[in-house]
Amino acid sequence: MGADRWQRTRAAGLGKLRRGVHIGAMSDAMLMFDRHAVRLHRDRAVATVGQVSDVLREAAERLLDRLDDTTRRFTRALDVGGRGVVAPLLRARQLEVVSCDLSPAMAAGNGGPAVAADEEWLPFAPASFDLVVASLALHWVNDLPGALIQLRQALRPDGLLLASLPALGTLAELRQALTEAEAALTGGAAPRVSPFPELRDCAGLLQRAGFALPVADLEEIRLLYAEPFALMRDLRAAGETSALRLRDRRVPSRALFPLALSRLPTEADRVPVALRLAMMTGWAPGPDQPKPLRPGSARASLADALRPGPGRLD
Amino acid sequence: MSDAKHEPQTARNAPIDPRLLEILVCPLTKGPLEYDRANNELISRKAGLAYPVRDGIPIMLPEEARQLED
Repeated sequence: MGADRWQRTRAAGLGKLRRGVHIGAMSDAMLMFDRHAVRLHRDRAVATVGQVSDVLREAAERLLDRLDDTTRRFTRALDVGGRGVVAPLLRARQLEVVSCDLSPAMAAGNGGPAVAADEEWLPFAPASFDLVVASLALHWVNDLPGALIQLRQALRPDGLLLASLPALGTLAELRQALTEAEAALTGGAAPRVSPFPELRDCAGLLQRAGFALPVADLEEIRLLYAEPFALMRDLRAAGETSALRLRDRRVPSRALFPLALSRLPTEADRVPVALRLAMMTGWAPGPDQPKPLRPGSARASLADALRPGPGRLD
Repeated sequence: MSDAKHEPQTARNAPIDPRLLEILVCPLTKGPLEYDRANNELISRKAGLAYPVRDGIPIMLPEEARQLED
């Protein structure tokens, strides 16, 4: 009901945009990410994403482990932004898979039916899938609640969403090193690493988007780099360079990255990098799911249960 | 364009996977789409847009869609 209203206002908003009506500085300022840059980064990463597929696969496998925690069997899955890694894992589980990606070229690399689609404007009919997997795919989305609502609508009742997002603490060392190095060089610092959500916000997000039984838990993947530049190379290879709308578009001082990377903490000559991933599960509401009791429907009084009495410890 | 039918089936004009036709809707209106086989486009009458299909992949991005003449 709320979701329907939301959809209508979104559609009306874009209709205006297409006719060239200026949407105003206020709404622009609320957009965190430059979606065109996200698209270009993913287009460019098609040739290189294979270099980081082991990390992407590790993250995807940990997310898909959640499928083993349920007795439900799934048949039709949507893979959102799986970068050629998620779809094969799902097919190995005998699922029929459709993949989508903001980049048409990246979508083509999933080895099955694929669609170029914007996560903020999904093109799927209601109840098209019984499983949606978005492994490290939603962290460059401006309207995350809106994307989650649309994913829920694409699910059948009692369908499952599995999504992972980098959480607070991911690339924290890099963020700090870049800020300190830039401050030392120029006296100021531009945002260069995305803000990541806290774990507790993630379950709240699912709930706001109308998912039942929302759960978010944390998985950490620790990477060790022999040399700090390899971290930057991997981020680029994955299409994960900064698409912050307020990023500093000037070419940074040549000294910035060498200085920042030299400041990264090391362990036995290696640079440790932690990816802290929020693993999110939520179900599209269905008639047979456990639900909380109606308030006031309890037949025993809590006050009675708590009253000190014989045989109770005070 | 007029003799699209007689062109060989290259990757460029590869048709859309029929499984996708069942589940795709217009991303803006969430309304139905018509598949124009000759032009290899998915048409949303309500939005007035035609979404191209390239290499068998429907490009459901409004900024890449063709505006239909009214």
